[in-house]
Parts: sequence; structure tokens; C-alpha cells
Amino acid sequence: MSDFMANLSILWPALLAGVLVSLSHVPLGQQVLKRGIVFIDLAIAQVAALGVIIAQTIGLELHGWMTQVAAVVAALLGAMLLTWTERRRPEVQEALIGVLFVLASTAQILLLANDPHGGEELKDLLAGQILWVSSDQLLRAAVLTAIFLAVWFRWRTRMGHVGFYVVFAVMVTMSVQLVGVYLVFTTLIVPALATYRHAAGRQLVLGYALAAVSYLAGLAASVITDLPSSAVIVWAMAVLAIVLHLTARPADRR
Amino acid sequence: MLRRLTMTVAALILGAALPAHAELRILATTADWGALAIELGGDKVNVYTATSALQDVHKVDAKPSLVARARTADLVVANGADLEIGWLPVLLQESGNAKVRPGTPGYFEAAAAVKLTDVPTAVDRSMGDIHPYGNPHIQLDPRNVAEVARALSARLAAIDPPDAAYYQQRGADFQSRWQQAMARWDAAAAPLKGIPVVVIHQDQSYLCRWIGLNRLAAIEPKPGVPPSAGYLAQLTTQLSADKPKMILRNAYNDPKAAEWLSQKIGVPVVTLPFSVGGTPEAKDLFSLFDDTLRRLSEAVK
Repeated sequence: MSDFMANLSILWPALLAGVLVSLSHVPLGQQVLKRGIVFIDLAIAQVAALGVIIAQTIGLELHGWMTQVAAVVAALLGAMLLTWTERRRPEVQEALIGVLFVLASTAQILLLANDPHGGEELKDLLAGQILWVSSDQLLRAAVLTAIFLAVWFRWRTRMGHVGFYVVFAVMVTMSVQLVGVYLVFTTLIVPALATYRHAAGRQLVLGYALAAVSYLAGLAASVITDLPSSAVIVWAMAVLAIVLHLTARPADRR
Repeated sequence: MLRRLTMTVAALILGAALPAHAELRILATTADWGALAIELGGDKVNVYTATSALQDVHKVDAKPSLVARARTADLVVANGADLEIGWLPVLLQESGNAKVRPGTPGYFEAAAAVKLTDVPTAVDRSMGDIHPYGNPHIQLDPRNVAEVARALSARLAAIDPPDAAYYQQRGADFQSRWQQAMARWDAAAAPLKGIPVVVIHQDQSYLCRWIGLNRLAAIEPKPGVPPSAGYLAQLTTQLSADKPKMILRNAYNDPKAAEWLSQKIGVPVVTLPFSVGGTPEAKDLFSLFDDTLRRLSEAVK
């Protein structure tokens, strides 16, 4: 098999990972932007990583699915905390999310300072790279995304604050391991930014289209230039988002 | 539209990636073992190196060409001893390339050819981000490079039998040039014996042991863990009384820690290439050692 065929066969799992992440993150991101809590994904990802490190520190031997359980439990606890703060101090919710991010990140440093064996690997455990995607991960992501889509489009209006944060925590913990934190943030926020001035009924479809085209164009550009894929996709999406944003006519708005 | 885009991309890649003839396709994880593979394989091999000297080999950014090479490689030349644990196992597993699976002849580990130092007697979590198999940074002792070269020559001959004689001849030629160079390096290293130095952490162990440098302390005693304020205070007190000649830093290390200590105790920082390509002068394995010894000797003058 030549490098050329190998290059093409790299594109498909990565593209699939991108599309799966987009399916949940584009609608989630529109909510996140509306609520003005754009850094919540970074905070949740750090809390999930902290959960894994805490589990390791208290002596649990983590293999495969146990790691996932630790990460999801921690992310859910973080989500609960944020639900509570949103109820009690809604006026500073975004600031509190920022503080949670810093606390979760530095707590990892403190824990690893005393119990650091394999610390580097643990820190990277939850930081995925889109080209490293495995078929197991894709399968898990596909199942979770199918559940998400059913829940989201059927019960979104009745989900409330708790439901939103729970769904968000689970999906972000999955996606960060799949494509890494830069792509998660971008897929969440950039389509929402690009489409918020478009007609309300078209925002979701346009967001999906933007994300899918950006992953395809970004991966293709990354193969041609041989630059790290995540960074190229982020830039592709940002550039295409500007174009899409400019096509919105104020008359389209609700 | 989509199809046309794919076709355009395909045409572009195809133009760039067609191999000239059937060479042995090698994926080397570090610049040093990539350089060794070129020394030993000559024009029978096509070497792709996953990391440059200025990157931390523990971590790698996924580039398409790296994944592509993992899928098509005939031989992976890894350092081993867990150096690439963060990315190589995942890469090899996901590549689905049975030829280079660990345990098969297509998977070569340099560390298996030498005796590792700093092997922990018990893996103790209080020791930092340590390597349970021992210190993996073996390339800075030229005796290790000779051992690895011997093993790699044999492996090349084994997986590419039609060219076995070619590899044997190149291997013998490399060994005789290396022995001559080692005589030169031993002479240059003799005056450095016993010189007191401070290191960043244990990745200079093999170099210090080979030359006989006297390691007074390490700035980052637990690899991967930033030193505490108390430790740094104690370090500056200790080193102000018992001054080292120099602070050794590898080109890929962040210079901040070494420069901070240098200002505190008034001792120069010496930046060593650590790996082929780490300094402009370290172009291959021979110049790696020439340059390392030149920089050390100049600092002692």
C-alpha cells in the first residue's frame, strides 16, 4: 500500500469522528452561547481529568472502562456544581466556570506533585488527537451520539438546567478524548457564532453544514500540507465561519 | 463538488508520494535512530523520523504523514524502554500494520540492545515520572550507539535478505569509523572527568556516566514534576557553597529553570544538542558527539 492510499484511509475515521462530535456539539454550542458560558467545556474537561487522577491517587487501578467511569463521574459532579451555582449566583456563572477551570487544572498539579508516577500519561489520557481515533472510540461515540440526538430533540424543552448540564458533561467527556480540547471548543462555539444572526429556523442546519465542511476541508488541507490536523481544522472552521456569518441578512432575524 | 475535491486532493498526494523504487520503508521515532538507520541502510532505505531533536519525544502531534508511514512501514525503529509510551502503541495498533507489530521482526527497540541504568528496584510512586525499565535516554553514550548499530545492522539484514551483504558491509564500515571517533572522543573527554555539574534531570545520565562528570544535583529531581520552592531554596544554598562548573541543559529543555539557577549562583548554562539536530552543528551521530564535547570543553576552559 502506498502512502497515498494510507493518506486516504486516515481521512475517513478522522472525518467520522468530526461529524459525530459535530452532531451533538453544534446544538449544544448554540445553547452555550445563548447562556453566555462559553468556557464550560474547558472546565468540564479539566474536571474529568481531575477525576481520573483522583481515582488513581486513592489507589484504584484504572483500566479502560474504569477510567471512563471515573472521568464521567467527575464530569457529572462538576456539572452538578455548576447547576447549583447557576441557581444561586446566576449573575457570575461565567466567572465561576473560569474559576472551576483553574481550580481543576491546578488540583491536578498538586495531586501529581505527591503522587506523580505516570503523571504525564494520565494528563494526556483525556486529551485526544483526531488522527489517533480508534474504532472502539468511534463505536462508543456513535452510540452516545445517537442517544444524545434522541434525548435532545425529544425532550430539550423539558430538560431544564440539570438535564442540560448532565448531557453536556457526558458528551464533552467523550468528545475531548476523541478529538482533543481545541476541536471541542471550536466545534461548540464557532458554528454558533457563525449562525446566530441567521434566521432561527436555519441556524442548526447551517451550523451542521459549516462543521462538516470544515472537518472535510481541514483534513484535506492537513494531508496536503502535512501540518497537525487539529490546528488546521480549527483554522478552516474559523475562516469558513466568517464567510457564513457575513451571509446573514439582518432581515433574516426573528 | 465533493467528489471533485477528493479527486484533486488524491491527485496532489499521489504526485508527491510515489516512491522511486522499492526501498525498505523505516519509521524512526527519534532523530538519533533515524540518523543511525540512514548510516546503516544507505540508499536501500527510506527513513521517516517522527520527532525532531527540539521536540519532547514523550509527546507527538499527529500529522497525516506520521499515520501514513505507520501504515506502510516495513520496519519501526523505536527507542523503547517506555520512551514513546504516550503515542507509539496507539499509533501502531491503529495503523493495523501487522509487519511492525511489537514482537515481530519489523519492530526494533534500541534500548533492548544495551544495559539500562537507573533501573528502579521497586517502582515507587514517590519517585516522579520515572521509567520502570530504566533510563531510556541511551543515545548519549557512544558505546551504546555502537551496540544499537550492531543490532540494527543484523535486523536490517534479517528483514531484507536480498540486501543482507550490503547491510553487513555498511555496518562493518560504520563500526570501524565509530571506533576511530570514539578514540578521539575519549581523549577529548579525559580532561572533563570529575568536573562538577548541575543537570535538569536524569536524561543526561548516560553522558555524565560515560565522561565521568560529577553530578552535584538536578534542578528537577522528580522528572515531570516542577520542583517545590523549598527544594529550590535548599538547592541554591547548597550550590552557592559547593559551586558547579556549569549547568547542563538540553536543547529541547525549556531554558527558564537553568537560567534562573544560573543567575542565582553565577554559573554558566551550557546548552547541549542531546539529539541529532539539537544544535546546528550536530548534523549526524558523529557531529552530535563532536559538538557535545566541544561545548563542554569550551565551558571548562
